[in-house]
Amino acid sequence: MNTTVNLGGIIMKNPVTTASGTFGFGFEYQPYVNLQRLGAITVKGTTPAPRAGNSTPRIAETPAGMLNAIGLQNPGVDRVAQEIMPRLAELGVPVIVNIAGDTVEDYALVARKLDGVVGVAGLEINISCPNVKKGGIQFGSDPRSAAEVTRAVKAAAGLPVIVKLSPNVADMAAMAEAVAEAGADALSMINTLVGMVIDVDRRKPLLANLTGGLSGPAIRPVAVRAVWQVYKAVKLPILGMGGIMNARDALEFILAGATAVAVGTANFVNPRTTIEIIEGIENYMRQNGFDNINQLVGLAHK
Amino acid sequence: MSQLVQVEIAGNSSPAPNIYVLELFAPTLAEIAQPGQFLHIRCAQGIDPLLRRPISIHAVNRETGLVRIMFQVVGRGTEMLARRQDGLLDVLGPLGRGFTWGQDRQSRTNPIPAPVDGSTTNQGNIILVGGGIGAAPLFFLLQELAATQAAPRVKVLLGARSADQLLTVELAAALGFKVQIATDDGSAGFHGLVTDLLAEELRQKTEYVYACGPTPMLKAVCTLLSQAKVPGEVSLEERMACGVGACLSCVCRVREPGGEENHQRACVDGPVFSAAEVVW
Ligand SMILES: Cc1cc2nc3c(=O)[nH]c(=O)nc-3n(C[C@H](O)[C@H](O)[C@H](O)COP(=O)(O)OP(=O)(O)OC[C@H]3O[C@@H](n4cnc5c(N)ncnc54)[C@H](O)[C@@H]3O)c2cc1C
Ligand SMILES: Cc1cc2nc3c(=O)[nH]c(=O)nc-3n(C[C@H](O)[C@H](O)[C@H](O)COP(=O)(O)O)c2cc1C
Ligand code: FES
Repeated sequence: MNTTVNLGGIIMKNPVTTASGTFGFGFEYQPYVNLQRLGAITVKGTTPAPRAGNSTPRIAETPAGMLNAIGLQNPGVDRVAQEIMPRLAELGVPVIVNIAGDTVEDYALVARKLDGVVGVAGLEINISCPNVKKGGIQFGSDPRSAAEVTRAVKAAAGLPVIVKLSPNVADMAAMAEAVAEAGADALSMINTLVGMVIDVDRRKPLLANLTGGLSGPAIRPVAVRAVWQVYKAVKLPILGMGGIMNARDALEFILAGATAVAVGTANFVNPRTTIEIIEGIENYMRQNGFDNINQLVGLAHK
Repeated sequence: MSQLVQVEIAGNSSPAPNIYVLELFAPTLAEIAQPGQFLHIRCAQGIDPLLRRPISIHAVNRETGLVRIMFQVVGRGTEMLARRQDGLLDVLGPLGRGFTWGQDRQSRTNPIPAPVDGSTTNQGNIILVGGGIGAAPLFFLLQELAATQAAPRVKVLLGARSADQLLTVELAAALGFKVQIATDDGSAGFHGLVTDLLAEELRQKTEYVYACGPTPMLKAVCTLLSQAKVPGEVSLEERMACGVGACLSCVCRVREPGGEENHQRACVDGPVFSAAEVVW
């Protein structure tokens, strides 16, 4: 059975990775997950300098989901490149580093510092973070800015570049076309949907940041729709995510057109979700007579 | 090391209105658990409520392999948990950095002022301060302290809104500890705050203070300790998603020894922090 996929130049032995920001730098989950079984590990959003992030409360549970407003707390690209990557590289699993910044130059700077760092297999450009004031979503809601960031990152590093799209826009396909044109090697979707919870007892917004990003099973149908539409609009491979809890959920994304899938919020609920999905997809292929995972990609369109 | 395990529910009792104690048969957890650590518990089988709930370990019996948690029903998760009588419970744990005491503190990476090793330190009183459900994890600490030379110097101060909300008073007394109580309404013990009792106790020579309870109480404890120049530890609560240090939901502001402030994760760097390092 062949489960190997090629995500815009990132070769994964199976189509399962982790969603940025939900799996730390991987080691946090080592007691529960054999990290070497993962197709790739996608790590937390990384910026030029260390960031302290937002105040607490940073999360709120919602029906079948959660809001988060972490605010890109991270140790900065230098520590990621010099201290964290050497340890992660020892696992021999491709690492996708999610990158963010306030300006186009910030993205390019982070990309340049990660270029050639052992273990880094690709970059995921986060132009869709709803929880920071500058950068993030501001690039993700305007096709011209998104294309500009993509071009700058491609020019700064010789690595495969995945552009992560926001669902908080009117036309995701137009965004996808713009970044494809600018040289993206793959697309990932979806980032979280902007949401809000009011604490009725305190009569105030629950999150310190007021709004947060909605993730978890609650957003899955929106995410599957996004993958379906973008798959039809552009030729690039897609990393699908949004509420994936088990193998059947993951297969929905693959059938809709995702070459690979990322597991996010589900890690918090069941730390072994990634492994169970890898095994579940293999079982599905065996039971349904597929010997190559790529036969399933986009099959629901046929 | 922490584990993801299905443990058997061996009993459910209610020692006070709205308070429940679940007894879990979990020999491996019992073996490695430390006072102040918590379990991250899945309350529902499905996806609603979605996230796990952090609950401290309340008591451990290493001979029988039984672990107890004590919790207050405040919302859907704890309500579902309170209804469980038997079957398996999905538990991640033990998690977090607990209270430091005895030899154990030598295994810590982040230095917290030296407490109870019974030899070199100041030999004053060791005071445990619990407010409301905060008494629950302190009892596990008492179980461990009972077996040390420091036991005769341990004092227990417990506070609650009213007499029927007082927790672990008999349990602590049964271990042989002196217990003082305070209630907001004066229905038992001292009429006032448990921190008033602490202020009084701090007039005597004090070696170390451990506290767990509502945020205003912990804040008051830290102020008293800094005025009295007594070291201690407090157990903090923050909303948690992963419980293992990956998501950065649960951060607390902490002052490093160098004076620099940063965010530390309550789930792995805490939930117990040195009283002097917490920034309120
Ligand atoms: C390290 C730690 C140890 C704890 N130990 C105990 C204990 O031993 N006994 C006990 O009764 N309670 C304890 N708590 C508090 C307990 O976690 C909450 O009361 C519980 O999560 C509430 O869940 P719910 O579904 O009933 O309430 P809801 O209000 O419906 O929960 C909604 C969301 O808010 C979170 N939340 C609500 N209140 C708190 C809180 N005080 N702290 C953290 N998250 C909260 C929930 O986890 C959930 O994600 C502890 C909290 C922490 C962080
Ligand atoms: C706590 C948390 C932190 C996140 N941090 C990031 C981040 O740093 N960069 C990013 O691109 N996406 C981040 N995300 C979004 C996820 O990578 C993912 O796109 C989203 O959660 C949808 O997937 P899920 O429903 O499986 O969680 C974060 C999500 C959560 C819940
Ligand atoms: S709960 Fe995820 S880092 Fe603490």
